[in-house]
Amino acid sequence: MTTDLVAAQPARGNALKRAVERFPFLPALIILVVLLVLNGLYQPRSVSFIGLTGLIKTYLALMLLAIAQTYVVYAGDIDLSAGAIVSLVNVAIITAMDALGGGTGAVLAGLGIGLLVGLACGIVNGIVVATLRLQAIVATFATSIFFTGLALYVMPVAGTPAPTAFWRTYGGRILDIPFVLYAVIVLAVLLLVLARTKLALRLLSVGDDQQAAFQSGLPVTRIRLQGYALCGLFAALAAFCITGDTASGDPLVGGKMTLNSVAAVVLGGTALAGGFGTVTGSVIGALIIGLIGSLVFFVGTPSEWQNLVQGVAILLALMAGILVGRRASR
Amino acid sequence: MKKTFARALGAVAALALTAFAAQAEDYKIGLSNGWVGSEWRTQMIEEAQAAAAAWKDKGVNVEVVVQSANVDVPGQIAHVRNFISEGVDAIIINPNSPTAFDPVFAQAKEAGILVIATDAEVSSPDALYVGIDQKAYGAAGAEWLAKTLDGKGNIVAINGVAGHPANELRVAGYKEVLAKHPDIKLVNEVNANWDQAQGQQAMQNLLATYPDINGVLVQDGMAAGAWKSIMDAGKTDQIAATGEIRKDFIDLWTKDKLNSGATVNPPGVMASALNVAVLMLQGKELKEPATAGQYENAMYLDIPFIDSSNLAEAAKQLEGKPGYYSYTDQLSIADAEALFK
Repeated sequence: MTTDLVAAQPARGNALKRAVERFPFLPALIILVVLLVLNGLYQPRSVSFIGLTGLIKTYLALMLLAIAQTYVVYAGDIDLSAGAIVSLVNVAIITAMDALGGGTGAVLAGLGIGLLVGLACGIVNGIVVATLRLQAIVATFATSIFFTGLALYVMPVAGTPAPTAFWRTYGGRILDIPFVLYAVIVLAVLLLVLARTKLALRLLSVGDDQQAAFQSGLPVTRIRLQGYALCGLFAALAAFCITGDTASGDPLVGGKMTLNSVAAVVLGGTALAGGFGTVTGSVIGALIIGLIGSLVFFVGTPSEWQNLVQGVAILLALMAGILVGRRASR
Repeated sequence: MKKTFARALGAVAALALTAFAAQAEDYKIGLSNGWVGSEWRTQMIEEAQAAAAAWKDKGVNVEVVVQSANVDVPGQIAHVRNFISEGVDAIIINPNSPTAFDPVFAQAKEAGILVIATDAEVSSPDALYVGIDQKAYGAAGAEWLAKTLDGKGNIVAINGVAGHPANELRVAGYKEVLAKHPDIKLVNEVNANWDQAQGQQAMQNLLATYPDINGVLVQDGMAAGAWKSIMDAGKTDQIAATGEIRKDFIDLWTKDKLNSGATVNPPGVMASALNVAVLMLQGKELKEPATAGQYENAMYLDIPFIDSSNLAEAAKQLEGKPGYYSYTDQLSIADAEALFK
């Protein structure tokens, strides 16, 4: 009886610590809520149902790309070609759908091709980084140029509309509920399943200590390669959302998203060194980036200061997250 | 009792009337710029803000709200969605992609918002383009070069970003002109991504490979760099090359008597678009509907050209301005009014 009490007391004092340990994205979640409230204060319509649906519609692609990035960051790697994969998949599916006539069958075939292209890009990255053991940051920078080149080969200049059925579905409603909300639910289930697979755990243990993972008998090379493959697949999903929201092909559409995806991962509490983090955090991180951009405008920042204020705000969010995390782990 | 009621009614009516009048001449216009890498864009926004303020003399209050930051395509889609939330009357956008905004522009139009793209054309049928014809831009430079070289010689071209729509149009424009001059041989083309340093490097390589070239087609943003290489190689008086509209280049051009000609893509395009937008918001109709261009939604503005004949005038306009300031031109309110019924 008494021993139970003694054991419970320090546990209660460490409630925050345990919460952050169990949910590393908690600081990010707090920042997200604060940002939502601030956005609502300065522009009530931005947090209305339509406003929030618009937010998700716009940033679902970045959320997916941040998830893609998370899986390689888990293992202590990085993918600087993620945005280029988005561009390549975007032009590939648009070209395929257009060539196949633009019907429902063409859309589905196009999506299938897109997943294959994403997977192939991921495997190429995996081979270069894990099998050939080149530095991830430089190797994926090189493949990003390669993938962009391929995208420009497939479609030299932006154009070619997406089949109407495709983008109307993405932007539309089913049973009066916006399609993107279904997508979010499916995504949540998918992430839950993935989090329970052996792969997620193995990626984390490789990131935590590659040597130890190798010595304990884990196939490190294969695991890192699988991480990149998964990254490619999620980048393809991100490209589907971009295509749904932009309804066209653009060989340069994803390029600038790469660093945003890395930023989202870090904002979400995942360690760039690997071995620690959550995909949920990355999803929240993507929303934080989006909401900061909107807030900077809604508070009325003069145009010449917007870039600066946005950068400072992201830095502050990063620092706040780290401070909360540190206090918790003390 | 009756009297008070009548008086109250009168007051309400008067209030309603003033409210209506105020609403009719109060416009909120959102400006979106998705890239802040050059002073040209800053000048573009400043000129648009000044143009909005100028409407005050006409009794029209134009409030501009600006979103200008380095964003990816989703980030700029968010700009548009933010403007919709803000309830603006019109959006003027310098778009990061020609095709990516179709769905969100449709959404803006549904919300009753006028959308005008400037500087780069957009494919959306729900938007209008007010700016220069990038194809004519490319053609004008080539026309000048062909004339300067008397229709014969070896030339090289330094292009911007491969796959960027403005670049592709400009290249198509000069190729069309060069096709009419078979004695001008385009010996090589390279991309220097609208970057001065890359333009300089590219020109250096080209001069080393083709020491006997007579002309260079280079777009603004890289031309000053290319010219630096030409001058370093001591070939200033042997080569004719297109130039820039920035004050520092125009000064150099004047001082060293360069054999140059510059097509003007004026930063005033956004101000021109704003003046057109206000007139449209007032319910006026264009004399000629905007149906030009590949997307059939464009209204092309005149493209000024600077060469030795009017260099002094251009220099005069830029006198006292900082070096990064660009030669500009815009549709004044009166110019714009002349385009409407």
